[in-house]
Amino acid sequence: MGSATGSSPSPELASALHRLRSTLARLKAELELAQSEGTERALADLDEALSLLRAVEVAALGLVSVLVVDDDERLAELTARGLRRLGYDAESAGTLRELRPNEVLVFDLSLASGLDPRTRSALTAARPIVVTGATDPGSRALAERLEASDYLVKPVELEDLVAAISRRMAAG
Amino acid sequence: MTAKLLVVDDEPRTAELTAELLRRAGYTVEVAISGTDALERVRLNSPDLMLLDYEMPDMEAPEVLDSLRSGADRIAFPVIILTGARHAPGDQVVGIEHGATDYIVKGTDRQVLLARVRGALREHAPDAKVTAVGQLRIDLAHGQASLGERALKLERRPLHMLQLLASRPGEVVGRAELLERVWGTNYAGFEHSVEQAAHQIRRALKNPAWIETVRGIGYRFVAQP
Repeated sequence: MGSATGSSPSPELASALHRLRSTLARLKAELELAQSEGTERALADLDEALSLLRAVEVAALGLVSVLVVDDDERLAELTARGLRRLGYDAESAGTLRELRPNEVLVFDLSLASGLDPRTRSALTAARPIVVTGATDPGSRALAERLEASDYLVKPVELEDLVAAISRRMAAG
Repeated sequence: MTAKLLVVDDEPRTAELTAELLRRAGYTVEVAISGTDALERVRLNSPDLMLLDYEMPDMEAPEVLDSLRSGADRIAFPVIILTGARHAPGDQVVGIEHGATDYIVKGTDRQVLLARVRGALREHAPDAKVTAVGQLRIDLAHGQASLGERALKLERRPLHMLQLLASRPGEVVGRAELLERVWGTNYAGFEHSVEQAAHQIRRALKNPAWIETVRGIGYRFVAQP
């Protein structure tokens, strides 16, 4: 099967990345369970190693990460799971967290009110795909102010969301 | 009651580590170290959820999933695949087409792992509460529904779909959500099943106005007098 970048990694590279991830994951679990003095720092280093590995996977495999944020966490997780089934590296959250590099944000517009200026600025910089139950001009205007890359009305079909993610990725 | 989980991994240390993380979160956890061992344990004592390593020497996850399904269209409990392999959009995600609920990439934060386990268990738990809207009463746990004094003849999935729609009256529920929550899939091939279920519900209620089709999107429950 192809990847978003149109090229597949060699089986050797994919296998090596796979084995490296499994080994680091086992080490992480060992340290998490040990919970003794000094493991905190080792765990932090290991998390950094895993995040570097992730960057390699993004480059080698054409991985696309998506964060789905909705005040209805159940719906956010259903959406993220649907995206995972389609090969996206998708997570869900009830509130906005710090985004990873190149992570696509799917954001429920109802959460836009009451954000502090720093979070709002990060939200705008992410050029989110906005989803909303409202279709009034005020909501559209708010989405525009947030520099949304797309505006989808709930209930959102997965294929429409995938198309919006592709547009967002293509826009860079 | 504590949920009972089965962790399957051919690498015993990895299996035990995953099991211990889950035990510390309050679950009862058994370990199997091969696909064959997993199937035997399920036969003896079915778990509430299985965490299944994708790559095992005796059987890969799709084989285990096919055996668990054994001809049915759905496995009786959620299965989450654990894999070290990452995917790109458009890739065939490991095991999903064979009936797995979800997958988790190894090394994912413990909190995320626990959240996905909790989510899969919650989605799969029988809904104990009875949904009642006017004269309509749906008891999913007992597989029964009635309109006034009249019992409705509905198969399991149409009943579940009716309960889901009736629990959110007036709200459009998308086909994707119905497929995910009632059928446990999001494959386009199942969309016909949703239409058939809607048809069966309308026929049972003897009034099509209860279930409104929102073209291209999904269905809306509209309570009738």
